Amino acid sequence: MSTEPDLDALEAMDDETFRLTVRQWIEANYPPELRNPPKRLHWRENRVWYMRLAARGWLAPGWPREHGGMGLAAARQLIMLEEQERHGCARTNDHGIILVGPLLIRYGTPEQKAFFLPRILSGEHVWCQGYSEPNAGSDLASLRTSAVADGPDWVVNGQKIWTTLANDANWIFLLVRTDKTAKKQEGISFLLVPMDSPGITVRPIVNLDLHDEFCEVFFDNVRVPRTYTVGEINRGWSMAKALLGFERIFLGSPKQSAYALGRLRLLAERMGVWDEPLFRDRYTALRLDLEDLKCLHARFVEIVRRGDTLGPDVSMLKVIQTELFQKITDAMLDIAGEHAGLLEPMEGNRELAPGALFIQARPSTIYGGSNEIQRNIIAKAVLDLP
Amino acid sequence: MTSDADLDESLRLIRDSARGIATPGDTRRIRALRFSTTGFDRDTWCQICAMGWPGLRVPEAAGGSELSMRAYVALAEVLGEGLVAEPLIPAAIAAHVLRGPGLASLLGGETIVIPAWQESANTLGVGLATSVGTRANGQKCFVPLAAGGDMFLVAGQGGLALVAADAPGVRIERQPTQDGGHFGTVTFSDAPAEPVAGALEPALEEATLATAAMLLGVMERAFTLTLDYLRTREQFGRKIGSFQALQHRAADLSMQIALTRASVEAAAASIDAGSPQSRAAVSRAKARASQAAMMVTREAIQLHGGIGYTDEYDIGLYLRRAMVLANSFGGAATHRARFAMLAVEEDA
Repeated sequence: MSTEPDLDALEAMDDETFRLTVRQWIEANYPPELRNPPKRLHWRENRVWYMRLAARGWLAPGWPREHGGMGLAAARQLIMLEEQERHGCARTNDHGIILVGPLLIRYGTPEQKAFFLPRILSGEHVWCQGYSEPNAGSDLASLRTSAVADGPDWVVNGQKIWTTLANDANWIFLLVRTDKTAKKQEGISFLLVPMDSPGITVRPIVNLDLHDEFCEVFFDNVRVPRTYTVGEINRGWSMAKALLGFERIFLGSPKQSAYALGRLRLLAERMGVWDEPLFRDRYTALRLDLEDLKCLHARFVEIVRRGDTLGPDVSMLKVIQTELFQKITDAMLDIAGEHAGLLEPMEGNRELAPGALFIQARPSTIYGGSNEIQRNIIAKAVLDLP
Repeated sequence: MTSDADLDESLRLIRDSARGIATPGDTRRIRALRFSTTGFDRDTWCQICAMGWPGLRVPEAAGGSELSMRAYVALAEVLGEGLVAEPLIPAAIAAHVLRGPGLASLLGGETIVIPAWQESANTLGVGLATSVGTRANGQKCFVPLAAGGDMFLVAGQGGLALVAADAPGVRIERQPTQDGGHFGTVTFSDAPAEPVAGALEPALEEATLATAAMLLGVMERAFTLTLDYLRTREQFGRKIGSFQALQHRAADLSMQIALTRASVEAAAASIDAGSPQSRAAVSRAKARASQAAMMVTREAIQLHGGIGYTDEYDIGLYLRRAMVLANSFGGAATHRARFAMLAVEEDA
């Protein structure tokens, strides 16, 4: 479709025109059967949408253009997110886009960039993130999966857990211990590993949502070429921390709460409580929480847009967003009556699934650094408490 | 259009000059003024006028300094930190409306003009049971620092009028407030009045947001004092700030302060941009500031323990100021309700 505007034309548009252009394209190209999916989709289901974004060149709004991204300013990236949210677009298997790409663009060798970045953009490589371990959750830096040098390779042994969609991925990025004698943060390296390497076993975990979104990944003498190390050996922790800052902006994005609030309103209308003053007060208080979150989120997005480094106070955003998300789903259960306990959506309508959304809100305050850990970070690194 | 850098610089300058009058941590002046007849100090008021603050939002052509709402908000925040008692926000409302000699004498510090618009608690609009014209008749309540005013700008049925505080037919009854100031209940019985053109409403919007900013300053300072206390007070052989239960409460307060700052500054930018949504943004910010300031100052007392309940220790001053400001120009519940009426749901 040669009539569609290229990146220069998109950049020249004002915000409103840009928004409408994105909206129209999404409406024309998003597979209708995938709107508002009740659960996180697997690659076999969302691949078609990933490939359409790839074909349009819209897969990586935040990557620089020279690497195949759109090079959009932060406010424009947010517009793209909001429009996908508005249409009920599914999240794709996006670890390559939001984490591996930015990591390699900043720390990768020219060879790594040339090999990996185009394969992320083509959908050939689907990534997952190997951080947490059974005994290294909140205390991530105590991780024990080890990599020992042997000739041109590392030999990796250990176990990762809560690895999102590892059962879809053909590559994993790993934090591994490469120096057992150093202080715990100083002996960690960052490796890129093909999932079809001999010695890797993936075991899905069924979660409270009765979905196999998370997996355990076992490593038994897995050989990994040393050229798949990112950055300096034993300096992986600082890179991992830089990624966590980006992750917290992503997890603190108001879109999850905005989605839930829209569903709360639909549910309230369906249950006949929308016009009750008591309900409306509660709804307005939640709506105000969301509006203030948007104001705060915009300040952090602006820091990234200016190219400045995010401070530890970005932890606030993750806490505020995820706890608001849960407060909204609490309100849904309070008004849903017996529907709250139903396993399937009400009346076959995917937008009326209070029980499922309540369950899906549970892990948000646990993953990405539990909210207790985020509060520890705020107390120590922001408020300077002893 | 001013660039971001110019704006940042002008906000820094106004904050610095405000700290000259509102020295953070020095509460001796504030304590001396508590529960006095006027509740504030006329010399300090003259200094405030010399800085041009009552005319901050008045056009240059009318004798003001025509600064942005963001500048007003930055100033109000610092005055809140310093618990400044002088009636800047009421006077700025009057300055918004007055022109000519009346304005000149207000900006010059010779005449303190206090607006009188409310007739009952928890209202956002001008009370209309009072009639104004060349005579004023009726009763206004919750008039801030009424006993220190030289003139009242009375709003009611018939518009606006100036009435001298010492004119015949004017009676002022003082009701002390928790923060050491007072409200006046002012009764006008056929008092001579001078009609004034214009409407109070746009000025009330700005006063509401400035009050939210003042609350932001109050809670920031109360929080700073609390963090200092957590870092120094020892029990069980440790600094109490090392206890996780207290650290998490401090983290929760810091998040409320961050949300308030984001909300207040975004609302100010919305007024500066002339956005049609700015009234909803003002209500959003005032609801947040009122609720958060009460939470922060209340928790500040608890985190200080017994010393926090003494009048001698300063932390209580911030709670008492918050109790007054949180409900001035509408409390949290009132503004949540107004927000619900004003806000346009994007996907409605």
